[in-house]
Amino acid sequence: MCKENNHSPLQNREAKDADLPLEAAQTEVDGFDQVFDMQMNRRSAFKRITAGLVAGIGAAATSCSVAGSEKSAEKAQMEWEEYFKGNYKVMTEEEKKATVKRIEKSYEQRSGNSLSVSSKEATPGVLFGYAFNISKCQGYMDCINACVEENNQDRSTQMQYIRIHEIEKGHGINFEKADDNYYHEVPAKNHFYMGTQCFHCENPPCVEVCPVQATWKEEDGIVVIDYDWCIGCRYCMAACPYDGRRFNWQTPEIKESEVNKNQHYLGNRLRKKGVMEKCTFCIQRSRNGKNPACVEACPTGARIFGNLLDPTSEIRWVLENKKVFRLKEDLGTEPKFWYYMD
Amino acid sequence: MTKGNNKMLKTCIYSAFAILFTLVVSCQHKEGDAHSHHHGVMDKIEAETGKVDSIPISSDYLNEHIKKIVVDDGEHHFLIPERESHMTSFPCSKCHTDDLDKIQEPEKGKKAHWDIKLQHADISIMNCTTCHSAHNMDKLRTITNETIDLNESYKLCGQCHSGQLKDWKGGGHGKREGGWAPPRVSKTCTNCHNPHSPGFEPRWPSRLNTQKIIERK
Ligand code: HEC
Ligand code: HEC
Ligand code: HEC
Ligand code: HEC
Repeated sequence: MCKENNHSPLQNREAKDADLPLEAAQTEVDGFDQVFDMQMNRRSAFKRITAGLVAGIGAAATSCSVAGSEKSAEKAQMEWEEYFKGNYKVMTEEEKKATVKRIEKSYEQRSGNSLSVSSKEATPGVLFGYAFNISKCQGYMDCINACVEENNQDRSTQMQYIRIHEIEKGHGINFEKADDNYYHEVPAKNHFYMGTQCFHCENPPCVEVCPVQATWKEEDGIVVIDYDWCIGCRYCMAACPYDGRRFNWQTPEIKESEVNKNQHYLGNRLRKKGVMEKCTFCIQRSRNGKNPACVEACPTGARIFGNLLDPTSEIRWVLENKKVFRLKEDLGTEPKFWYYMD
Repeated sequence: MTKGNNKMLKTCIYSAFAILFTLVVSCQHKEGDAHSHHHGVMDKIEAETGKVDSIPISSDYLNEHIKKIVVDDGEHHFLIPERESHMTSFPCSKCHTDDLDKIQEPEKGKKAHWDIKLQHADISIMNCTTCHSAHNMDKLRTITNETIDLNESYKLCGQCHSGQLKDWKGGGHGKREGGWAPPRVSKTCTNCHNPHSPGFEPRWPSRLNTQKIIERK
């Protein structure tokens, strides 16, 4: 029995295909094929494949030792599929659905709690934009706390997507002289506050430098990362002129009760260590009509978010009626994040 | 691993290289196209505005619990939360049957509304009856003595703060309830500002990054 079970992963895969209806088996491009289809300068592609083979054998062996347990066989199958899934960007809708289902299931098996991972796509006619009112921000940092909790960021390393810079008035906007880790009563006399995060550029330089296409701009303008496709090379971090990207040095450690179970594949789902992360305009919220957590948490109304294509939206009113500016406009990156003053 | 499998893997890799080659070639085409279309996001917004009529996303489900009233000045149309039902001392007329100007005992008054201390402009400009109607206690009043519902206090504030009122209507001052998606529900002035003491109090930031301090040393 054991011997029969212990076939190589490749045969395993054939067996899987054979289970599918003939049509699907022929047309569906699964993760394995995608690994080969993708660029070969993806330096870990081969590593990943060989590691996958080992893992596959491991999984098969495990299922052997508890032979008869349907659950563990299912688990092994799931791990296998998860390992060889493709880049989210090129998945079909069905593949995306299957992928998020798998994440939900494996979390359930691990923690006993249920999770909702969305693969909701961009809505046509929506292009997200953000405006920040410099004269309203009081430097409370409520936005940062909300962001950390919403996006399941690791608590101990204090890696955060948002920074609030305290800048002395009268010297323009000089980030060199700004303090983004102040701790005193705010607003401090003669200072103003300016938040930065990923600006979701229309021409994002980070996307262009990614050697494995693990990051891209969605139709609604959100720049996203497939954490499972990211190899953590940090080229994007170097390419971003706005310090918008973060490298996570640690697998996010969050108390089970504090895990935000409302997730999106491209957003706040639990990540592994050693990948890039950043603000996604809270894709898990914004695609459902909600405001990003930072916008909701800000008590001053300094943060405005909305649909740039809707002429009646507040963000459009701000762009048309206030003196707005963006950082390093000359670079041609076209951030969708504007600043303004009263 | 058996020989058969090795062979299969090899064919796999060879064919993958073949596919990759064609991919690279076709990709370069695409890339070239993309660059020639590079333009500003403002152009894009202009070109694509108006395709929003059929957007299926609504924020109704986020604001169901809020009782709302309409703001409409012809140019802007949106909703704000109703206020009167949230006020502990409304209706005022359940205690105040007399005109306000008949109240002559400041001590008693102090006790009744002990939590209200005017810190709004200065006393020569502002006292209770600058805003509250002395004869119709359940209403606010304008400078010209017209009455305003407590629910529509933005009209009161707007008399003296017309710039903020304009920005608020447009969406540059204040904040949304619920989400970004239509229909728009915005906080009203008194959701954020206590009318009697409208300034924001200084406070401490909600976090300190101890780790950052260590790292930067
Ligand atoms: C629970 C009863 C009660 C309610 C409800 C109430 N008041 Fe009063 N208020 C008093 C009393 C008692 C006094 C003291 C003067 C008096 O003898 O009438 C007073 C005094 C005042 C005064 C003048 C004294 C001062 O504080 O300077 C104002 C103005 C006033 N109230 C406004 C209001 C308004 C506006 C409302 C409704 C939003 C309201 N009150 C609701 C009981 C009440
Ligand atoms: C700048 C205009 C303004 C002035 C001056 C003013 N009020 Fe008010 N007051 C308001 C508005 C507007 C509200 C309704 C606030 C809301 O929407 O919650 C209100 C509400 C109240 C309430 C009901 C509060 C509650 O939550 O139950 C009382 C009582 C009251 N005022 C008493 C007074 C008294 C007493 C004075 C003078 C000491 C005074 N007000 C001066 C504008 C004013
Ligand atoms: C009768 C005129 C008048 C009305 C009505 C009025 N205000 Fe004021 N308000 C003033 C004046 C005068 C100042 C002081 C301006 C200054 O110091 O430069 C002021 C100051 C303020 C400030 C700044 C406070 C600070 O400490 O920085 C806020 C906020 C404010 N008002 C909000 C409101 C709101 C909200 C309402 C409606 C509930 C309102 N005002 C109604 C005249 C008015
Ligand atoms: C989201 C909360 C919010 C709402 C809603 C809001 N404000 Fe403000 N307002 C602020 C903040 C924050 C400030 C700046 C802090 C300060 O100066 O105390 C401010 C400042 C002000 C000031 C001081 C001058 C300035 O512009 O800095 C006035 C006057 C004012 N608001 C009036 C209004 C009026 C009138 C409305 C309604 C039409 C309104 N506000 C609605 C949050 C709000």
